[in-house]
Amino acid sequence: MIEADKLSKSYGRVRAVNGVSFAIPNGEVFGLLGPNGAGKTTIIKTFTTLTKPDSGRCFIEGIDVAANPIEVKGLIGVVPQENNLDRELTAYENLRIYSLLHNVKEIEAKIDGALQVVGLNDRRDSLAHHFSGGMQRRLLLARALLPEPKVLFLDEPSIGLDPQIRRQMWDVIRKTRIEGRTVVLTTHYIEEAELLCDRVGILAKGELVALDTPAHLKAYVGEYIVELIDPDGKLVQHICKTREEAHIVAKQMTNGVTVRKSNLEDVFIKLTGERIE
Amino acid sequence: MEWYPIFLREMLLFRRKLLRLGYLFSAMVVPIIYLVVFGFGLGRSVSIGGGNYLAFLIPGLVAMSSMNNSYNWVSSALNLNRIYFKTFQVFVQAPIKPSAIMIGEVFAGMIKGLFASVLIIAVGIVASSASFITVPFVAALMINCFLFSNLGVITGMVSKSHEDTATYTNFFIMPMAFFSGTFFPVDRMPVAIKYVMYILPLTHTNILVRKAAFDYEGVVSLAVLILYAVAFFCYGTYLIRNYSE
Repeated sequence: MIEADKLSKSYGRVRAVNGVSFAIPNGEVFGLLGPNGAGKTTIIKTFTTLTKPDSGRCFIEGIDVAANPIEVKGLIGVVPQENNLDRELTAYENLRIYSLLHNVKEIEAKIDGALQVVGLNDRRDSLAHHFSGGMQRRLLLARALLPEPKVLFLDEPSIGLDPQIRRQMWDVIRKTRIEGRTVVLTTHYIEEAELLCDRVGILAKGELVALDTPAHLKAYVGEYIVELIDPDGKLVQHICKTREEAHIVAKQMTNGVTVRKSNLEDVFIKLTGERIE
Repeated sequence: MEWYPIFLREMLLFRRKLLRLGYLFSAMVVPIIYLVVFGFGLGRSVSIGGGNYLAFLIPGLVAMSSMNNSYNWVSSALNLNRIYFKTFQVFVQAPIKPSAIMIGEVFAGMIKGLFASVLIIAVGIVASSASFITVPFVAALMINCFLFSNLGVITGMVSKSHEDTATYTNFFIMPMAFFSGTFFPVDRMPVAIKYVMYILPLTHTNILVRKAAFDYEGVVSLAVLILYAVAFFCYGTYLIRNYSE
Protein backbone atom coordinates (compact mmCIF):
# COMPACT_ATOMS: atom_id res chain seq x y z
CA MET A 1 0.00 0.00 0.00
CA ILE A 2 1.17 3.49 -0.87
CA GLU A 3 -0.35 6.43 0.89
CA ALA A 4 -0.10 10.21 0.68
CA ASP A 5 -1.59 12.10 3.59
CA LYS A 6 -2.23 15.82 3.04
CA LEU A 7 1.07 16.36 1.19
CA SER A 8 2.01 19.99 0.62
CA LYS A 9 5.12 21.53 -0.88
CA SER A 10 5.90 25.09 -1.95
CA TYR A 11 8.82 26.53 -3.91
CA GLY A 12 9.02 30.14 -2.86
CA ARG A 13 5.54 31.55 -3.41
CA VAL A 14 4.52 28.76 -5.76
CA ARG A 15 2.40 26.06 -4.14
CA ALA A 16 3.53 22.98 -6.10
CA VAL A 17 1.45 20.47 -4.13
CA ASN A 18 -1.49 21.43 -1.95
CA GLY A 19 -2.88 18.97 0.57
CA VAL A 20 -2.85 15.93 -1.72
CA SER A 21 -4.07 12.64 -0.25
CA PHE A 22 -4.56 9.25 -1.90
CA ALA A 23 -4.00 5.55 -1.28
CA ILE A 24 -2.86 2.93 -3.79
CA PRO A 25 -3.33 -0.78 -3.08
CA ASN A 26 -0.55 -3.23 -3.93
CA GLY A 27 -0.37 -4.39 -7.53
CA GLU A 28 -2.15 -1.38 -9.00
CA VAL A 29 -0.92 0.78 -11.87
CA PHE A 30 -1.74 4.28 -10.71
CA GLY A 31 -1.38 7.32 -12.92
CA LEU A 32 -1.00 10.97 -12.00
CA LEU A 33 -2.30 12.96 -14.94
CA GLY A 34 -1.95 16.67 -15.38
CA PRO A 35 -0.25 19.43 -17.33
CA ASN A 36 3.30 20.62 -16.71
CA GLY A 37 3.53 22.31 -13.32
CA ALA A 38 0.56 20.42 -11.87
CA GLY A 39 2.70 18.90 -9.10
CA LYS A 40 3.15 15.37 -10.49
CA THR A 41 6.94 15.29 -10.31
CA THR A 42 7.00 16.88 -6.86
CA ILE A 43 4.78 14.08 -5.55
CA ILE A 44 7.03 11.43 -7.13
CA LYS A 45 10.12 13.14 -5.71
CA THR A 46 8.54 13.17 -2.25
CA PHE A 47 7.83 9.45 -2.37
CA THR A 48 11.30 8.69 -3.68
CA THR A 49 13.04 10.72 -0.94
CA LEU A 50 14.39 13.50 -3.17
CA THR A 51 12.07 16.16 -1.79
CA LYS A 52 11.04 16.82 1.78
CA PRO A 53 7.41 17.99 2.02
CA ASP A 54 6.52 21.16 3.93
CA SER A 55 3.69 19.27 5.60
CA GLY A 56 1.91 15.97 5.33
CA ARG A 57 3.37 12.51 5.19
CA CYS A 58 3.71 9.66 2.77
CA PHE A 59 4.02 5.95 3.39
CA ILE A 60 5.19 2.97 1.37
CA GLU A 61 4.23 -0.45 2.74
CA GLY A 62 3.31 1.35 5.96
CA ILE A 63 6.78 2.89 6.33
CA ASP A 64 6.97 6.65 6.79
CA VAL A 65 9.17 7.89 3.92
CA ALA A 66 10.57 10.88 5.83
CA ALA A 67 11.27 8.92 9.02
CA ASN A 68 12.84 5.83 7.42
CA PRO A 69 14.20 6.89 4.03
CA ILE A 70 16.84 4.14 3.72
CA GLU A 71 14.28 1.40 4.38
CA VAL A 72 11.94 2.94 1.79
CA LYS A 73 14.73 3.22 -0.80
CA GLY A 74 15.14 -0.56 -0.55
CA LEU A 75 11.56 -1.01 -1.76
CA ILE A 76 11.44 1.33 -4.72
CA GLY A 77 12.73 1.70 -8.26
CA VAL A 78 12.69 5.07 -10.01
CA VAL A 79 12.68 6.17 -13.63
CA PRO A 80 13.12 9.95 -13.43
CA GLN A 81 11.94 12.43 -15.99
CA GLU A 82 15.53 13.33 -16.90
CA ASN A 83 17.83 10.73 -18.43
CA ASN A 84 20.23 10.55 -15.50
CA LEU A 85 22.42 7.77 -16.82
CA ASP A 86 26.17 8.16 -16.62
CA ARG A 87 26.73 9.13 -20.21
CA GLU A 88 30.42 8.22 -20.17
CA LEU A 89 29.79 4.72 -18.84
CA THR A 90 28.55 1.75 -20.86
CA ALA A 91 25.08 0.31 -20.44
CA TYR A 92 26.62 -2.58 -18.49
CA GLU A 93 28.63 -0.27 -16.22
CA ASN A 94 25.55 1.86 -15.51
CA LEU A 95 23.60 -1.22 -14.51
CA ARG A 96 26.47 -2.67 -12.48
CA ILE A 97 26.92 0.49 -10.40
CA TYR A 98 23.16 0.63 -9.77
CA SER A 99 23.11 -3.06 -8.81
CA LEU A 100 25.92 -2.55 -6.30
CA LEU A 101 24.17 0.51 -4.86
CA HIS A 102 21.01 -1.54 -4.37
CA ASN A 103 22.79 -4.67 -3.14
CA VAL A 104 21.45 -6.80 -6.00
CA LYS A 105 22.42 -10.48 -5.83
CA GLU A 106 23.58 -12.44 -8.91
CA ILE A 107 24.39 -9.21 -10.68
CA GLU A 108 25.58 -10.59 -14.01
CA ALA A 109 22.48 -12.71 -14.60
CA LYS A 110 20.17 -9.88 -13.52
CA ILE A 111 21.89 -7.40 -15.84
CA ASP A 112 21.65 -9.77 -18.78
CA GLY A 113 17.97 -10.36 -18.01
CA ALA A 114 17.19 -6.64 -17.65
CA LEU A 115 18.92 -5.78 -20.93
CA GLN A 116 16.99 -8.59 -22.62
CA VAL A 117 13.66 -7.28 -21.31
CA VAL A 118 14.21 -3.83 -22.81
CA GLY A 119 15.84 -5.15 -26.00
CA LEU A 120 19.29 -3.67 -25.42
CA ASN A 121 21.34 -6.84 -24.91
CA ASP A 122 23.28 -6.21 -28.13
CA ARG A 123 24.30 -2.74 -26.86
CA ARG A 124 25.66 -3.93 -23.51
CA ASP A 125 29.11 -2.40 -23.99
CA SER A 126 28.10 0.82 -25.78
CA LEU A 127 28.53 4.12 -23.97
CA ALA A 128 25.20 5.56 -22.84
CA HIS A 129 25.78 8.82 -24.70
CA HIS A 130 25.78 6.88 -27.97
CA PHE A 131 22.19 5.79 -27.25
CA SER A 132 19.14 7.47 -28.76
CA GLY A 133 16.63 9.10 -26.39
CA GLY A 134 14.37 6.06 -26.61
CA MET A 135 17.21 3.65 -25.85
CA GLN A 136 18.22 5.74 -22.85
CA ARG A 137 14.63 5.63 -21.51
CA ARG A 138 14.61 1.86 -21.92
CA LEU A 139 17.96 1.55 -20.16
CA LEU A 140 16.61 3.65 -17.29
CA LEU A 141 13.67 1.28 -17.00
CA ALA A 142 16.00 -1.75 -17.04
CA ARG A 143 18.06 -0.09 -14.31
CA ALA A 144 15.03 0.60 -12.13
CA LEU A 145 13.88 -3.02 -12.43
CA LEU A 146 17.23 -4.55 -11.41
CA PRO A 147 16.62 -4.65 -7.64
CA GLU A 148 13.13 -6.08 -8.28
CA PRO A 149 11.44 -3.22 -6.44
CA LYS A 150 8.03 -3.63 -4.84
CA VAL A 151 7.03 -0.21 -6.12
CA LEU A 152 8.09 1.33 -9.40
CA PHE A 153 7.88 5.10 -9.84
CA LEU A 154 7.93 6.29 -13.44
CA ASP A 155 8.05 10.02 -14.04
CA GLU A 156 6.86 10.64 -17.61
CA PRO A 157 8.23 7.27 -18.75
CA SER A 158 7.58 7.77 -22.45
CA ILE A 159 8.32 11.47 -22.77
CA GLY A 160 9.93 12.30 -26.10
CA LEU A 161 9.62 8.76 -27.46
CA ASP A 162 8.32 7.93 -30.92
CA PRO A 163 5.03 5.95 -30.97
CA GLN A 164 6.66 2.60 -31.67
CA ILE A 165 9.17 2.87 -28.81
CA ARG A 166 6.43 4.24 -26.56
CA ARG A 167 4.41 1.09 -27.12
CA GLN A 168 7.47 -1.04 -26.31
CA MET A 169 7.80 0.86 -23.02
CA TRP A 170 4.14 0.24 -22.27
CA ASP A 171 4.63 -3.49 -22.87
CA VAL A 172 7.45 -3.56 -20.33
CA ILE A 173 5.34 -1.63 -17.81
CA ARG A 174 2.43 -4.06 -18.31
CA LYS A 175 4.82 -6.97 -17.75
CA THR A 176 6.01 -5.32 -14.56
CA ARG A 177 2.44 -5.11 -13.38
CA ILE A 178 1.87 -8.80 -14.17
CA GLU A 179 4.84 -9.58 -11.91
CA GLY A 180 2.83 -8.05 -9.07
CA ARG A 181 4.56 -4.71 -8.65
CA THR A 182 2.78 -1.53 -7.82
CA VAL A 183 3.45 1.10 -10.47
CA VAL A 184 3.02 4.83 -9.95
CA LEU A 185 3.49 6.86 -13.10
CA THR A 186 3.07 10.46 -14.08
CA THR A 187 2.08 11.44 -17.56
CA HIS A 188 0.50 14.14 -19.59
CA TYR A 189 -0.28 11.69 -22.40
CA ILE A 190 -3.99 10.86 -22.30
CA GLU A 191 -3.57 7.61 -24.20
CA GLU A 192 -0.86 6.42 -21.81
CA ALA A 193 -3.04 7.05 -18.77
CA GLU A 194 -6.06 5.35 -20.34
CA LEU A 195 -4.24 2.28 -21.62
CA LEU A 196 -1.93 1.58 -18.69
CA CYS A 197 -3.60 2.75 -15.50
CA ASP A 198 -6.09 0.97 -13.27
CA ARG A 199 -6.87 4.31 -11.64
CA VAL A 200 -5.94 7.86 -12.48
CA GLY A 201 -5.54 10.88 -10.22
CA ILE A 202 -6.06 14.16 -12.03
CA LEU A 203 -3.88 16.99 -10.77
CA ALA A 204 -4.33 20.67 -11.49
CA LYS A 205 -2.29 23.45 -9.88
CA GLY A 206 -1.05 21.17 -7.11
CA GLU A 207 -4.45 19.81 -6.16
CA LEU A 208 -5.96 16.39 -6.76
CA VAL A 209 -9.25 17.24 -8.47
CA ALA A 210 -10.43 13.69 -9.24
CA LEU A 211 -9.40 10.09 -8.66
CA ASP A 212 -11.06 7.02 -10.16
CA THR A 213 -10.76 4.44 -12.93
CA PRO A 214 -10.51 5.91 -16.44
CA ALA A 215 -13.94 4.42 -17.27
CA HIS A 216 -15.63 5.97 -14.25
CA LEU A 217 -13.99 9.33 -14.84
CA LYS A 218 -15.21 9.35 -18.43
CA ALA A 219 -18.68 8.22 -17.38
CA TYR A 220 -18.77 11.14 -14.99
CA VAL A 221 -18.23 13.53 -17.89
CA GLY A 222 -20.39 11.71 -20.43
CA GLU A 223 -19.12 8.98 -22.69
CA TYR A 224 -19.67 10.72 -26.04
CA ILE A 225 -18.56 14.08 -27.36
CA VAL A 226 -20.20 15.85 -30.30
CA GLU A 227 -17.94 18.57 -31.65
CA LEU A 228 -17.64 20.96 -34.52
CA ILE A 229 -15.66 24.04 -35.48
CA ASP A 230 -17.97 27.08 -35.64
CA PRO A 231 -17.64 29.78 -38.34
CA ASP A 232 -15.30 31.76 -36.03
CA GLY A 233 -12.91 28.79 -35.89
CA LYS A 234 -13.83 27.98 -32.29
CA LEU A 235 -14.24 24.38 -31.11
CA VAL A 236 -17.76 23.74 -29.82
CA GLN A 237 -18.38 20.58 -27.82
CA HIS A 238 -21.50 18.88 -26.50
CA ILE A 239 -21.09 16.14 -23.92
CA CYS A 240 -23.62 13.29 -24.13
CA LYS A 241 -24.25 10.41 -21.79
CA THR A 242 -25.22 7.88 -24.49
CA ARG A 243 -24.46 7.20 -28.15
CA GLU A 244 -28.12 7.74 -29.09
CA GLU A 245 -28.17 11.13 -27.42
CA ALA A 246 -24.96 12.05 -29.26
CA HIS A 247 -26.46 11.20 -32.64
CA ILE A 248 -29.63 13.18 -31.90
CA VAL A 249 -27.50 16.21 -31.00
CA ALA A 250 -25.33 15.74 -34.10
CA LYS A 251 -28.37 15.66 -36.42
CA GLN A 252 -29.52 19.01 -35.07
CA MET A 253 -26.20 20.61 -35.97
CA THR A 254 -24.66 21.69 -39.29
CA ASN A 255 -22.20 19.74 -41.41
CA GLY A 256 -18.64 18.97 -40.19
CA VAL A 257 -19.83 17.46 -36.94
CA THR A 258 -17.85 14.60 -35.41
CA VAL A 259 -19.02 12.20 -32.75
CA ARG A 260 -16.34 10.52 -30.69
CA LYS A 261 -15.88 8.79 -27.37
CA SER A 262 -14.79 11.02 -24.52
CA ASN A 263 -11.28 10.74 -23.11
CA LEU A 264 -9.45 11.84 -19.98
CA GLU A 265 -8.63 15.19 -21.51
CA ASP A 266 -12.39 15.89 -21.71
CA VAL A 267 -12.59 14.97 -18.03
CA PHE A 268 -9.74 17.35 -17.28
CA ILE A 269 -11.37 20.18 -19.24
CA LYS A 270 -14.69 19.61 -17.52
CA LEU A 271 -13.06 19.64 -14.08
CA THR A 272 -10.65 22.52 -14.53
CA GLY A 273 -11.78 24.45 -17.58
CA GLU A 274 -8.29 24.06 -19.08
CA ARG A 275 -6.57 21.72 -21.50
CA ILE A 276 -3.79 19.37 -20.38
CA GLU A 277 -1.21 20.34 -23.02
CA MET B 1 31.38 -1.16 1.84
CA GLU B 2 28.29 0.84 0.86
CA TRP B 3 30.65 3.53 -0.44
CA TYR B 4 32.30 1.20 -2.96
CA PRO B 5 29.84 1.66 -5.90
CA ILE B 6 30.26 5.44 -5.71
CA PHE B 7 34.03 5.09 -5.62
CA LEU B 8 33.94 2.55 -8.45
CA ARG B 9 31.83 4.86 -10.63
CA GLU B 10 34.28 7.71 -10.13
CA MET B 11 37.22 5.47 -10.93
CA LEU B 12 35.61 4.17 -14.12
CA LEU B 13 35.02 7.76 -15.23
CA PHE B 14 38.54 8.75 -14.12
CA ARG B 15 40.06 5.92 -16.17
CA ARG B 16 38.28 7.19 -19.29
CA LYS B 17 39.50 10.74 -18.56
CA LEU B 18 43.06 9.52 -18.18
CA LEU B 19 42.92 8.06 -21.65
CA ARG B 20 42.47 11.59 -22.89
CA LEU B 21 45.85 13.26 -22.58
CA GLY B 22 44.18 16.59 -21.80
CA TYR B 23 43.61 15.45 -18.24
CA LEU B 24 47.29 14.77 -17.55
CA PHE B 25 48.20 18.10 -19.08
CA SER B 26 45.60 20.04 -17.06
CA ALA B 27 46.70 18.37 -13.81
CA MET B 28 50.35 19.25 -14.35
CA VAL B 29 50.40 22.55 -16.20
CA VAL B 30 49.86 24.99 -13.32
CA PRO B 31 52.42 23.55 -10.89
CA ILE B 32 54.97 23.19 -13.69
CA ILE B 33 54.48 26.84 -14.67
CA TYR B 34 55.06 27.81 -11.03
CA LEU B 35 58.08 25.54 -10.88
CA VAL B 36 59.61 27.11 -13.97
CA VAL B 37 58.75 30.73 -13.09
CA PHE B 38 59.43 30.68 -9.36
CA GLY B 39 61.85 27.79 -9.09
CA PHE B 40 64.11 28.14 -12.11
CA GLY B 41 63.53 31.85 -12.75
CA LEU B 42 63.10 33.78 -9.51
CA GLY B 43 64.46 30.94 -7.39
CA ARG B 44 68.02 31.24 -8.68
CA SER B 45 68.47 34.49 -6.78
CA VAL B 46 66.57 33.44 -3.65
CA SER B 47 67.61 31.27 -0.79
CA ILE B 48 65.47 30.30 2.22
CA GLY B 49 67.09 29.47 5.55
CA GLY B 50 70.37 29.28 3.72
CA GLY B 51 69.01 26.49 1.50
CA ASN B 52 68.04 26.08 -2.14
CA TYR B 53 64.69 27.72 -2.99
CA LEU B 54 63.76 24.85 -5.30
CA ALA B 55 64.02 22.44 -2.36
CA PHE B 56 61.63 24.72 -0.45
CA LEU B 57 59.23 25.22 -3.35
CA ILE B 58 58.69 21.66 -4.59
CA PRO B 59 56.96 20.24 -1.45
CA GLY B 60 54.74 23.35 -1.44
CA LEU B 61 53.80 22.80 -5.07
CA VAL B 62 52.93 19.19 -4.30
CA ALA B 63 50.70 20.36 -1.42
CA MET B 64 49.05 22.98 -3.64
CA SER B 65 48.53 20.49 -6.42
CA SER B 66 46.96 17.94 -4.10
CA MET B 67 44.60 20.62 -2.79
CA ASN B 68 43.61 21.91 -6.23
CA ASN B 69 43.03 18.52 -7.79
CA SER B 70 41.18 16.93 -4.86
CA TYR B 71 38.99 19.97 -4.40
CA ASN B 72 38.30 20.94 -8.01
CA TRP B 73 37.54 17.48 -9.31
CA VAL B 74 35.11 16.70 -6.51
CA SER B 75 33.39 20.09 -6.34
CA SER B 76 32.83 20.58 -10.06
CA ALA B 77 31.89 16.94 -10.75
CA LEU B 78 29.46 16.79 -7.83
CA ASN B 79 27.92 20.11 -8.75
CA LEU B 80 27.46 19.12 -12.39
CA ASN B 81 26.16 15.69 -11.43
CA ARG B 82 23.66 17.22 -9.01
CA ILE B 83 22.37 20.15 -11.04
CA TYR B 84 22.80 19.22 -14.71
CA PHE B 85 23.24 15.48 -15.19
CA LYS B 86 21.14 14.46 -12.12
CA THR B 87 23.32 11.39 -11.58
CA PHE B 88 23.91 12.38 -7.94
CA GLN B 89 20.20 11.71 -7.36
CA VAL B 90 20.84 8.02 -8.14
CA PHE B 91 23.04 7.88 -5.02
CA VAL B 92 20.52 9.78 -2.89
CA GLN B 93 17.76 7.35 -3.92
CA ALA B 94 19.86 4.26 -3.15
CA PRO B 95 19.39 2.42 0.17
CA ILE B 96 22.77 3.48 1.57
CA LYS B 97 23.80 5.83 4.37
CA PRO B 98 24.62 9.48 3.56
CA SER B 99 28.08 8.89 5.04
CA ALA B 100 28.66 6.16 2.41
CA ILE B 101 28.04 8.69 -0.38
CA MET B 102 30.44 11.05 1.36
CA ILE B 103 33.16 8.40 1.76
CA GLY B 104 32.84 7.23 -1.86
CA GLU B 105 33.13 10.75 -3.23
CA VAL B 106 35.99 11.67 -0.89
CA PHE B 107 38.05 8.54 -1.55
CA ALA B 108 37.68 9.11 -5.28
CA GLY B 109 38.75 12.74 -4.81
CA MET B 110 41.77 11.57 -2.82
CA ILE B 111 42.85 9.25 -5.63
CA LYS B 112 42.62 12.11 -8.14
CA GLY B 113 44.55 14.45 -5.85
CA LEU B 114 47.21 11.84 -5.12
CA PHE B 115 47.54 11.01 -8.80
CA ALA B 116 48.23 14.66 -9.68
CA SER B 117 50.61 14.90 -6.70
CA VAL B 118 52.61 11.89 -7.86
CA LEU B 119 53.08 13.57 -11.24
CA ILE B 120 54.45 16.70 -9.55
CA ILE B 121 56.62 14.62 -7.21
CA ALA B 122 58.11 12.91 -10.27
CA VAL B 123 58.85 16.29 -11.89
CA GLY B 124 60.25 17.55 -8.58
CA ILE B 125 62.58 14.58 -8.24
CA VAL B 126 63.90 15.21 -11.75
CA ALA B 127 64.22 18.99 -11.20
CA SER B 128 65.82 18.88 -7.75
CA SER B 129 68.24 16.48 -6.23
CA ALA B 130 66.94 17.26 -2.74
CA SER B 131 65.07 14.46 -0.95
CA PHE B 132 61.71 15.70 0.29
CA ILE B 133 59.66 12.53 0.73
CA THR B 134 59.46 12.00 4.47
CA VAL B 135 56.91 10.46 6.84
CA PRO B 136 55.32 13.86 7.67
CA PHE B 137 55.28 14.65 3.91
CA VAL B 138 53.32 11.48 3.10
CA ALA B 139 50.97 11.95 6.06
CA ALA B 140 50.35 15.58 5.09
CA LEU B 141 49.70 14.66 1.48
CA MET B 142 47.14 12.00 2.40
CA ILE B 143 45.24 14.13 4.86
CA ASN B 144 45.39 17.18 2.58
CA CYS B 145 43.74 15.20 -0.22
CA PHE B 146 41.14 13.87 2.22
CA LEU B 147 40.43 17.30 3.69
CA PHE B 148 40.04 19.13 0.38
CA SER B 149 37.95 16.35 -1.14
CA ASN B 150 35.59 16.85 1.81
CA LEU B 151 35.56 20.58 1.14
CA GLY B 152 34.90 19.79 -2.52
CA VAL B 153 31.79 17.83 -1.55
CA ILE B 154 30.58 20.75 0.56
CA THR B 155 31.07 23.24 -2.28
CA GLY B 156 29.46 20.85 -4.78
CA MET B 157 26.44 20.55 -2.51
CA VAL B 158 25.94 24.21 -1.63
CA SER B 159 26.71 25.78 -5.03
CA LYS B 160 23.52 26.76 -6.81
CA SER B 161 25.17 26.71 -10.25
CA HIS B 162 28.42 25.70 -11.85
CA GLU B 163 29.48 29.37 -11.88
CA ASP B 164 29.11 29.40 -8.09
CA THR B 165 31.73 26.66 -7.85
CA ALA B 166 34.19 28.83 -9.76
CA THR B 167 33.41 31.74 -7.40
CA TYR B 168 34.29 29.65 -4.34
CA THR B 169 37.52 28.60 -6.05
CA ASN B 170 38.47 32.17 -6.88
CA PHE B 171 37.71 33.53 -3.42
CA PHE B 172 38.97 30.73 -1.18
CA ILE B 173 41.11 28.15 -2.92
CA MET B 174 43.27 30.34 -5.13
CA PRO B 175 44.18 32.87 -2.37
CA MET B 176 44.91 29.94 -0.06
CA ALA B 177 47.41 28.60 -2.59
CA PHE B 178 49.37 31.87 -2.35
CA PHE B 179 48.92 32.74 1.35
CA SER B 180 49.69 29.44 3.00
CA GLY B 181 53.43 29.17 2.73
CA THR B 182 53.56 27.53 -0.67
CA PHE B 183 55.95 30.07 -2.20
CA PHE B 184 57.47 31.71 0.88
CA PRO B 185 57.66 30.93 4.60
CA VAL B 186 54.72 32.13 6.69
CA ASP B 187 56.99 33.71 9.30
CA ARG B 188 58.13 36.32 6.79
CA MET B 189 54.67 37.92 6.85
CA PRO B 190 53.50 40.66 9.27
CA VAL B 191 52.16 39.27 12.54
CA ALA B 192 48.47 40.04 11.86
CA ILE B 193 48.54 38.36 8.44
CA LYS B 194 50.54 35.48 9.87
CA TYR B 195 47.74 34.69 12.34
CA VAL B 196 45.19 34.67 9.52
CA MET B 197 47.46 32.37 7.52
CA TYR B 198 47.63 29.94 10.44
CA ILE B 199 43.85 29.57 10.24
CA LEU B 200 44.13 28.21 6.70
CA PRO B 201 44.47 24.42 6.49
CA LEU B 202 46.95 24.52 3.61
CA THR B 203 49.38 26.42 5.85
CA HIS B 204 49.55 23.41 8.12
CA THR B 205 49.99 21.05 5.18
CA ASN B 206 52.88 23.22 4.01
CA ILE B 207 54.44 23.09 7.47
CA LEU B 208 54.19 19.30 7.51
CA VAL B 209 55.42 18.60 3.98
CA ARG B 210 58.74 20.30 4.79
CA LYS B 211 59.38 18.41 8.03
CA ALA B 212 62.06 15.75 8.03
CA ALA B 213 60.36 14.17 11.06
CA PHE B 214 57.46 14.90 13.39
CA ASP B 215 58.23 17.53 16.04
CA TYR B 216 55.92 19.56 18.29
CA GLU B 217 55.00 22.01 15.51
CA GLY B 218 54.36 19.11 13.13
CA VAL B 219 52.06 17.34 15.58
CA VAL B 220 50.08 20.55 16.15
CA SER B 221 49.70 21.05 12.38
CA LEU B 222 48.63 17.43 11.95
CA ALA B 223 46.03 17.88 14.72
CA VAL B 224 44.70 21.03 13.02
CA LEU B 225 44.40 19.22 9.69
CA ILE B 226 42.60 16.29 11.32
CA LEU B 227 40.18 18.69 13.04
CA TYR B 228 39.42 20.40 9.76
CA ALA B 229 38.99 17.07 7.98
CA VAL B 230 36.58 15.72 10.59
CA ALA B 231 34.57 18.96 10.63
CA PHE B 232 34.31 19.04 6.83
CA PHE B 233 33.39 15.37 6.68
CA CYS B 234 30.62 15.81 9.25
CA TYR B 235 29.24 18.89 7.52
CA GLY B 236 29.34 17.25 4.07
CA THR B 237 27.49 14.21 5.44
CA TYR B 238 24.94 16.53 7.05
CA LEU B 239 24.35 18.27 3.71
CA ILE B 240 23.81 14.94 1.91
CA ARG B 241 21.49 13.67 4.66
CA ASN B 242 19.35 16.80 4.43
CA TYR B 243 19.37 17.00 0.64
CA SER B 244 16.00 18.11 -0.71
CA GLU B 245 14.98 19.46 -4.10
